[in-house]
Amino acid sequence: MDEADITLRNLTYHRFVELGTAPSAAEIAAAMDSPVEVVRDGWRRLHDAHALVLDGDARELRMANPFAARPTPYRVEAAGRSWYGNCAWDAFGICAALHVDGEIRTECPDCRTPIDVAIRDQRPDDDGLVFHVLVPAVDWWRDIGFT
Amino acid sequence: MLLFRSEEHVAAWLAGRKPGATISVTKLCELANAWWGDRLAPDWRPHTRDQNQSILDRLGLTGPFWTLP
Repeated sequence: MDEADITLRNLTYHRFVELGTAPSAAEIAAAMDSPVEVVRDGWRRLHDAHALVLDGDARELRMANPFAARPTPYRVEAAGRSWYGNCAWDAFGICAALHVDGEIRTECPDCRTPIDVAIRDQRPDDDGLVFHVLVPAVDWWRDIGFT
Repeated sequence: MLLFRSEEHVAAWLAGRKPGATISVTKLCELANAWWGDRLAPDWRPHTRDQNQSILDRLGLTGPFWTLP
């Protein structure tokens, strides 16, 4: 990953934070004053390096982990804005990446009871909840969407 | 990578499927802080495989299930 790709990656992430949703390739191209294909080519290299995840036709963002480009069951409110996390780990990761307190809203996958958990000073306010990882670490990137 | 109300709800959701690994939400929060804490840093650099494995190891997430490729 060269410096130009790291710059593209950082700009992409910071626009994601500012917007509360995924920036389009066209938005990033405009911010960089570059052709959109330059952005897409860089995003593809970053995708291959697992630095972000593109959608099925590799044109727009699917994930800038921990941020999700699509609605998910993990809604995070923090710093006066809101985002979706790709999974429970990523939902907590949004507060960690922003270094702020926050609220995570989801539901138990078993019984569908709503779960609201607050993060205060990097700790959850409900220590009775549990996190389950189905896929072993060796296979996390085999199908990151499923993982 | 899902959040449940309790281990009993994990077992019910699995419905006999082979379980993965279950940790407390407090441990998850520690993991998230260590894994994602630098994600927006101006001097961000990609984690190496060994850096990520070290995070898991430091939190006691060891053994074959938690071994990265």
